[in-house]
Amino acid sequence: MRPWEVAAPLVRAAQRGDALAMDDLLKLITPYVTRLCASIAPADTADAVQESLLAVFRGLRGLRDPVACYGWVRAVTVREAVRVARRTGAETPADPEQITRLRDLLPATGTELTAEVRDLLARLPVQHRTVLVLRELEGLDERTMAELLDIPEGTVKSRLSRARSSFRKAWTR
Amino acid sequence: MNGPDRIARLQVLAAGLRAPLYAELRLELPFDRVWAVVADLEGELPHLISFVREFRVPAGDSELKQAEAVDVLGLRGPFEVRLRPGWCLMQSRLVTMGMAAEPDGGGTRLAVCGALRPAALGPVQRGYRRLIGERRARAFFREVERRARLR
Repeated sequence: MRPWEVAAPLVRAAQRGDALAMDDLLKLITPYVTRLCASIAPADTADAVQESLLAVFRGLRGLRDPVACYGWVRAVTVREAVRVARRTGAETPADPEQITRLRDLLPATGTELTAEVRDLLARLPVQHRTVLVLRELEGLDERTMAELLDIPEGTVKSRLSRARSSFRKAWTR
Repeated sequence: MNGPDRIARLQVLAAGLRAPLYAELRLELPFDRVWAVVADLEGELPHLISFVREFRVPAGDSELKQAEAVDVLGLRGPFEVRLRPGWCLMQSRLVTMGMAAEPDGGGTRLAVCGALRPAALGPVQRGYRRLIGERRARAFFREVERRARLR
């Protein structure tokens, strides 16, 4: 069974106020939310996770299509994680450099990042980190990312390009 | 990193339930003593919650149990109970209650939340939040602490 197929009946029950279903849903989505937050807000992962989960559960009753649960959880989590990461804001922008495929350096979707990759991501600015995580780990296309982050598609492209360069630069350093 | 602790998880559930009652407090007693009171639902719940006269829980170690509550008016109602160390959720057709605890140095952080089940009652719940919620929570913590000290 796919994760969203497990989630859908729990979401429906949780929307009716079933606390045990909420408990199960919380357990189901916490690893996913934690993985996203650890990539986007590495310095404040615990805060980002908690704020994301609070936002998800506050908004749960308004979710019309329970099968779309994971996409929605992702959107809420990215928004909250970016907000938390910006709050602390200790960021060092890097310049574009050489070109190789980033995907080779990153594990397949669904696996844990290595400590080294996580450390590299942590050194990128929040904006760059976010587009990299969404593109390379979550496998989103540019249009979906633009909608999720509420920025033009062109901005996604340029951020992605700068982010890849920064990542490679840091990787080869 | 570790996931959210049990107190943080209860905060999330309280947000999802739009619970009018949510409170947490640090007690100067070790976790085991505090949780021994909370987890003894049959023996202690009638002392901790004013409108519960009896609470019957079937024996056994299973995490999920079907309990029965009798309120002060003598009305009976089935409750689903999920109980494990530091974590307790109880719900009937009408009420939901959650309790969570985490060791904190030599003391214990304890949190409680409560909500009425029918979503339509939400606005009413929120109206009484300050009045009922805070007083109930204070009384609950005071009683848990008093009974834990007696053990």
